[in-house]
Amino acid sequence: MTPPQRTGTAAALALLLMTATACGGSGSGSDSGDGELNVMMYQDTLAVVQHNAAERYNEGADVRAVIDEVPGDGYDDKLRTVMGSGEAPDVFFNWGGGSIEPYVEQDMLLSLDDALEQNPEMEEAFIPSVLDAGKIDGVQYGIPLRGTQPVMLFYNEQVFEEAGVEPPETWDDLLSLIDTFNEEGITPFALAGNTTWTQQMWLQYLVDRRGGHEVFQRIQGGDFEGWRDPAVLWAAETVQDLVDRGAFGDNFASVSYTEGGASALLAEGRAAMHLMGSWEYSTQLAEAPEFAEEHLGYTTFPEVPGGEGDPAAVVGNPTNYFSVTTEADSAAAVDFLKQTYTQEYVADMVENGEVPVTTNAEELLDNSPNPEFARYQYELVQEAPTFQLSWDQALPRTAAEPVLTEIDRLFNGQTTPEEFVDALAALQ
Amino acid sequence: MSVLSPSRDGRRPTAVPSARTAPSGRARRAGPRVGRPGAWWALPALAFFAAFAILPMGLVVYLSFTEWGGLGDPRFIGTDNWTRLVGDPAMHRAVVLTLVLSVSSWAVQTPIALLLGVWAAGRQRNRAILSAVFFVPLLLSSAAVAIIWRALLDPNFGPLAQIGPLIGMPGLDLLSDGAAAFGVIVFVTAWQFIPLHMLLYQGGARQIPASLYQAAEIDGAGRLRAFWHITLPQLRNTITTSSVLMVVGSLTYFDTVLILTGGGPGTDTTIVPYLMYRVGFESYQYGYASAIAFTLVVVATAVSLVMVRLTGFGAMRSTREGM
Amino acid sequence: MTTTSAAPAAPARTAPRRRRSLRDRPNPLAGLGALAWLLVVGVPLYALLVATFQQTEEYRTAGPLTVPADPTLDNYVGAFGSGLITFVWNTMLVTAGVVAIVVVLSVMAGYAIVRSRTWLTNGFFRVFLLGLAIPSQAVIIPVYLIIVQLDFYDSLLAVVLPTAAFALPVCVLILTGSMRDISDELYEAMALDGAGAGRTFLRLVVPLSRSGISTIAVYAALQAWNGFLFPLILTQSAGTRVITLGLYEFQGQYRVDIPGLLTAVVLATVPLFLVYLVARRSLISGLMGVGGK
Repeated sequence: MTPPQRTGTAAALALLLMTATACGGSGSGSDSGDGELNVMMYQDTLAVVQHNAAERYNEGADVRAVIDEVPGDGYDDKLRTVMGSGEAPDVFFNWGGGSIEPYVEQDMLLSLDDALEQNPEMEEAFIPSVLDAGKIDGVQYGIPLRGTQPVMLFYNEQVFEEAGVEPPETWDDLLSLIDTFNEEGITPFALAGNTTWTQQMWLQYLVDRRGGHEVFQRIQGGDFEGWRDPAVLWAAETVQDLVDRGAFGDNFASVSYTEGGASALLAEGRAAMHLMGSWEYSTQLAEAPEFAEEHLGYTTFPEVPGGEGDPAAVVGNPTNYFSVTTEADSAAAVDFLKQTYTQEYVADMVENGEVPVTTNAEELLDNSPNPEFARYQYELVQEAPTFQLSWDQALPRTAAEPVLTEIDRLFNGQTTPEEFVDALAALQ
Repeated sequence: MSVLSPSRDGRRPTAVPSARTAPSGRARRAGPRVGRPGAWWALPALAFFAAFAILPMGLVVYLSFTEWGGLGDPRFIGTDNWTRLVGDPAMHRAVVLTLVLSVSSWAVQTPIALLLGVWAAGRQRNRAILSAVFFVPLLLSSAAVAIIWRALLDPNFGPLAQIGPLIGMPGLDLLSDGAAAFGVIVFVTAWQFIPLHMLLYQGGARQIPASLYQAAEIDGAGRLRAFWHITLPQLRNTITTSSVLMVVGSLTYFDTVLILTGGGPGTDTTIVPYLMYRVGFESYQYGYASAIAFTLVVVATAVSLVMVRLTGFGAMRSTREGM
Repeated sequence: MTTTSAAPAAPARTAPRRRRSLRDRPNPLAGLGALAWLLVVGVPLYALLVATFQQTEEYRTAGPLTVPADPTLDNYVGAFGSGLITFVWNTMLVTAGVVAIVVVLSVMAGYAIVRSRTWLTNGFFRVFLLGLAIPSQAVIIPVYLIIVQLDFYDSLLAVVLPTAAFALPVCVLILTGSMRDISDELYEAMALDGAGAGRTFLRLVVPLSRSGISTIAVYAALQAWNGFLFPLILTQSAGTRVITLGLYEFQGQYRVDIPGLLTAVVLATVPLFLVYLVARRSLISGLMGVGGK
């Protein structure tokens, strides 16, 4: 806060005290150095794993770990508020990449390079490509805490059987499937265009398959001229071609993912395929259990013509990470991070349907609610040469949101591929 | 909510003479100073308002010259945000959309509200019943209205999926087409706000002296001529008030856009307040968002000043609100 | 504002009963227009109500524009398990807080503006006039900063304070209007009795401004009940969620169970609807007053 800001706030405070005899604030956050390790955690059904970890940690440590759960929607905003208000937590959940870059810039995060050097078993515990995604400018700031969430192509096996076709392996397969299903009156691909990041998955895979992993790495490094790579233009043209062919039906702009529209279309057989993160499986299991268990197929994103990228590469969210703030008692925090690859922790994750990114996960996968799917996912990630973080998480938020907007405009035919590339390159 | 108990017609204690005996407001005789409240009576309200509206206004101006992401200190960057704003195609689109939305909202709502209001000012029984139905949308929040319409207009899981094929338009989908989605915003906000403006016109029409109509009748004027030459001119003030409320209101149809279209398809319904929300609270560019916000205030203030000029509020006269 | 009794909530300024003149005669054309609007308003509301009594399956196949073949109360039963009660309760607290602050502050301010003899109050009045033009959207960023600095973020107070502040200008204007209708003679009589400002205020101004006060209470309550932006930005946890925000969250929670979602919308409106039934006249005249300003 600069002085003008502070006097303004002080004035506001004085006025408030004059006018409102109010008391009691939100009381969020707390002081560190009080023998507590405050862990800020994204609240959902899976957070039980971290709770158990905290309990195990507290048995042996002189510092108590306290998990503070924050509801999923607005987690990012709340984190930003807490970090800005000088009451930062000691350890917090995040997506890595651009989602924590602002905090790195403000020197609020602890580099974990030393911790990894002193504890070689920590580095060996995780799949390398996933651990790497927790780095910013080559410095480790995040340790994986969750399962992996690659984006894959889900499909409705029943619809495929009835049409007598197979899941696509090449781009030509995919194009002919679009025609086949359109003739049948079935939307080839469910797309929740109302939730913009679903459209991003398409573009991201296309760029990765066509130009390789490096294209976006350059952009993520801050060089926005990287958007001018021919692979990006090709991907944008391809998106437009897909839309024109009716790959996503006519009304994808009013389908929402968070409201379950796209998943319902797939489950009801009104759409044949759905490109989505691996959590789609749990979504279907909750909303349409019969379909999930009987007819939900999954495969990889097909190769593209002239593709320089490795067809085994994946995009999505490698995992979620724990980062440590500079406020924390670093020794205690690093000790807490060691929880994330213990046998108990990994077993806990598997039982909750997650696919851990630790190297010791494989033998545990049989305990998963759906071992087959878990194994498929694990191998997909294990064998992937690269695992690219979702663009909107990899880029700092200031750039992520405009990128999503431009992608949305591209899908809705409001920009040409050339304009799209220009707009992205012009972002700051 | 006991304050909402019926006001017993607002009748005054019987000892009180009719309220209109003194000329209102202006030309008060210099009464004794005793028993007059000091200015400090108004201070709490003013201070409270200043804390949450006027002081923030100042902060908006200050922030618009800084770069700030919510962490650390705002960094002064001079007029960078403003030059960016002038050259930002997203802002241009949003401004145009906002203006078009204001104008079309006004053009849709005013005639309907005026006619309905004048009609409701009559005195037959069935009007009471119809009016009662008309007012229901007023009780719904913008959020509720947007949710209802979003459900009704869902092309896959709503009534449109059944109606479409019936009228020969399978796949009828108003929210995936830019122009149609914009039309939906205009319609839905009209659906929600027309009752309010209808009330204003009803109140205004009630206050037109009946003698004017009787005079017109003696002259043999028909209904249309009476409407044109008496009703409309008499409603001039009401039209101004209502129009300004509409225009300023339409600058802030934020809830509707957020829930109903999310600014989409693409950016076809991204109006200025929504753009500001995304820039500020989704990409944490508080400085640039403040510049956008300030633009919004300038427009709103300009409209309001015109209103004050036209209605003579500045002369500290009470308008005829029939209280 | 019943259309049958001749006295709307107004000082004695309505014209005396008159013979049926032009505008009181039935007007078939206007009647038709009104009927058309009735359809525009009524059909969606009908669909809304019907949907709440349908199973999701039936809603998806038959649509809400029919008569439900097999009406069910499941949606209503289900809605009560979804935190709706908490949201309604929070909204009531917010509404009560906003109404209390707005009524007290604007009655005092109105009194000063109408009766005070200092040039200051004229300036105050102009400030409130200008305040009308400040859309809350425009200052939401600094308001957010102020609330965070005060450590009120994510509390109901965070919603109450700015909501009340932004309701003030309109309320002050409405009240100054209605207070000007109190005649000078009455004030002078009070002064002759030796009453000070405080006693005059309590004994004369407040009783005679009752209709104005109920108007602003209604206005403030509507603002608080239906407010969306302040809760959206200034609160975030389930414990402080108000009903508008709750409905917004429900969109994701109910997913494609649209009848369930619409039931929540209906239930969220019930408290306001009950108030409407009880205090319809005050509500209507109150809203008319907003326009009169």
